[in-house]
Order: sequence, then C-alpha cells, then structure tokens
Amino acid sequence: MVYIVVVYDMEADRTHRMLKFLRRYLTHVQNSVLEGDVTEGDLEKIRSGVDEMLKPGESTIIYRVSSEKMVERTVFGDDPAADDQFL
Amino acid sequence: MNDNYHVFSDGRIERQDDTVRVVTDDGEKKYLPVENAEAIFLHGQLEYNTRFVSFLNQEGVAVHVFGWHDHYAGSIMPKRGQTSGQTIVDQVRAYDDPGHRLKLAKAFVDGSIHNMRSNVTYYDGRGYDFEHVLEELEDARASLDGMGTIDETMGVEARARKAYYSTFDEILPEGFVFGGRQYNPPNNEVNSLISFGNSLVYANIVSAIRATALDPTVSYLHEPGERRYSLALDIADLFKPLLADRVIFRLVNRGQLTTDDFEDDMNSCLLNEAGRKTYSKAYEKTLDETIDHPDLGKKVSYQYLLRVEAYKLKKHLLTGEEYVPFRRWW
Repeated sequence: MVYIVVVYDMEADRTHRMLKFLRRYLTHVQNSVLEGDVTEGDLEKIRSGVDEMLKPGESTIIYRVSSEKMVERTVFGDDPAADDQFL
Repeated sequence: MNDNYHVFSDGRIERQDDTVRVVTDDGEKKYLPVENAEAIFLHGQLEYNTRFVSFLNQEGVAVHVFGWHDHYAGSIMPKRGQTSGQTIVDQVRAYDDPGHRLKLAKAFVDGSIHNMRSNVTYYDGRGYDFEHVLEELEDARASLDGMGTIDETMGVEARARKAYYSTFDEILPEGFVFGGRQYNPPNNEVNSLISFGNSLVYANIVSAIRATALDPTVSYLHEPGERRYSLALDIADLFKPLLADRVIFRLVNRGQLTTDDFEDDMNSCLLNEAGRKTYSKAYEKTLDETIDHPDLGKKVSYQYLLRVEAYKLKKHLLTGEEYVPFRRWW
C-alpha cells in the first residue's frame, strides 16, 4: 500500500473527466485534489489513466508516500477526508 | 485495499461515474472509491436499483444490509470468482461423515473457548479476580474430548459462553447492566452492543467465505440453516471475542459510548445512529490492526485473519491437512 496525493490542472471544461476517473480510487478532498491509500497495482493503473487523459498544456502531479503513517497531515477547517469510510 | 464502507444516511445509493455515490435525503452527495471496497454495509434506509447491483457484481463488491433492530437482513453477493465442484463435494462429505463433522465442530468450540479465555485473562490481570471463570472455561475445554455428539459439543460451547459472559457485568462500568445474553430483541445496552458487534463479524465472514470456493450454507457446528449462512456462524464464534467484545469493552470503559447512545423502545434497547457509528468506526479500526503471523511470515490485518480462516478450512477439506482453529497467539 502507498499513500498518494494527486493534484491536477486541466482546461476548465475537462476537469470532470479526471475527477471521475480518480474518484474510483481516491477521496476527493478539494477542487482538483484527491488523496488516499492505494495498492501498487492501482497506482500503476492511475498513472497510465492519468497520462492518457492529458492534453498539451495540462498537468497532473502524483505525490507518493510509502505509507499513510508517514504523512503528517494538518487540516484547518473541516476535513473532507475525515471518516470517509462512514457515509 | 479491502475497506468496508458503512452508510448510515437515508437516501439513495447508486452507480455514478463508474463508482458508487450516496445521495442523502438532504441532497448531499458522497462518493465512495469502489476500487478500494471489499463490502458496503447499509445501515440507513437506502434505495438502489439493478444498475447499482450489476455494477457491484462486476466490481466484486458485496453489500450487507442491516434492517430493523440492527438485524442482519441479508447480503447481495457478487458472483463467485471462485468455483470448485471438488471443494463443495469435499465440504459436504465432511458434513455427512459424523466423525469428521464432530471433529470440526469441536475444533470451532475449542478455538472459541481459547479466545474467550484470552479476553478473561487480560482482565484477570487488571484488578479483577476471574480465576473461577478461567477454571470453568478450562474445564469446558477439557470436557470437549469426551463429547460424542454435536448437541453435546454445542452444550459445551453454551456453558463456556455463559461463564464468559458472567465477567461482563464486572468489567463494564456502572450503568451498563448485562445480566445474561438476551436477543430478539436485545433488552439492554450490553446485549444490544453484542448483537450489533456479532452481526458485523458475521457479515465480514460472509465476505471472507465468498473469497474461497466454500459454500457458506454447509456448516459443522451449527446445523446447516435454511436461510442463514451457517458456516459463517461457525467461523464467527472464533472471532467474536477478539473483534466484537474487545470493541465493546474499549468504548464503554473509556466512556466513548454512554447510555445516551441508545434508545429504548418497547421492551428492547438499541443503539441509535450515533452509537452505531461510534461502534462501527472502532470496529473498522480494529479490523485494520495488524499482527505478525508466524506461519505466513508477515504482518497481516485482523480482517485478513478472517480470510485465512476460510482458506485453512478449505485446505483441510481438500488435502486433509489438520484444521487448527484460530487461537489468539499474542
């Protein structure tokens, strides 16, 4: 398992494509930002999916941490990822 | 990732954008990453359609439905990834062979008693005197050998569980009176917690059995049920002390659950929504805890232990390798 944070910058009318794709794996925490635990296999799927989707001038960055325990995460205000297993 | 998702809101649950979305009655939309999901537990009043069901089938995600009185109402299981006629044949043969069935039934009871004992020992060392209960449990376990029928074996399990439950009134703080196991419906806070916890263990084991080619309705200790997955009942007994009961003690003794988290109804007492949420969160956290597994030579989560148990049973049935039930070793 690895913990990843994904941020993307795309043409405004195309952002929903990326969101739709990433939501299958990650928790949407802010506009154009998702995070969560994934397997190495899923990370590979995310990488190729992201790469395929981008047009010139657009970008996506994946920050990868070896485990959720290695992340020190400070949230101000409401945490959108709090209790995301409980809806 | 094998996450369980719990939905407490009322509303709709549906397929949306190739994943799962909950639209609550308040109009809030929440997404659930389907790729990480092992199972979705529905506690609220939710509507869904066939499109949702086929999508989860395709993704291999199970849905466990909880109804009135926190009762486990049933599961929508994905189609089997595993099918093996040979496994079913061997599973039924073992059931049909009285000696073999009895041996397996005893193994389940033996493991359950060990795991109850492990909880009692923990509290025995923390200011309580449970020497007599430990002896009773040990006697029950020792008497297993002499039992010649399933009924007698069941009797031993009942006797052990009664002794085990007798410690609850002492371990739990004032305000939480237990006074023996009651269900259908539970009559007080403690019974309601036990019922809810046990149903979560049961549902998780239903998922674990599905990962093997075993048939969940063919069981050994419990009589194969008409409507229940009785093999899940056999295996659940092993894990209730580790999962369901430890969570109860932890939450109640730390004051994270109080009598405000329950509602009394006509001669029943049930967790309210906040209480169920608190319990499920602590329960999921427990499932994620990991432990060094000496046989597998790696760290595994408690949740994975459930699956290991199903694999062990299957292996026993197929190869004859001895089935050693889960016994807490740490």
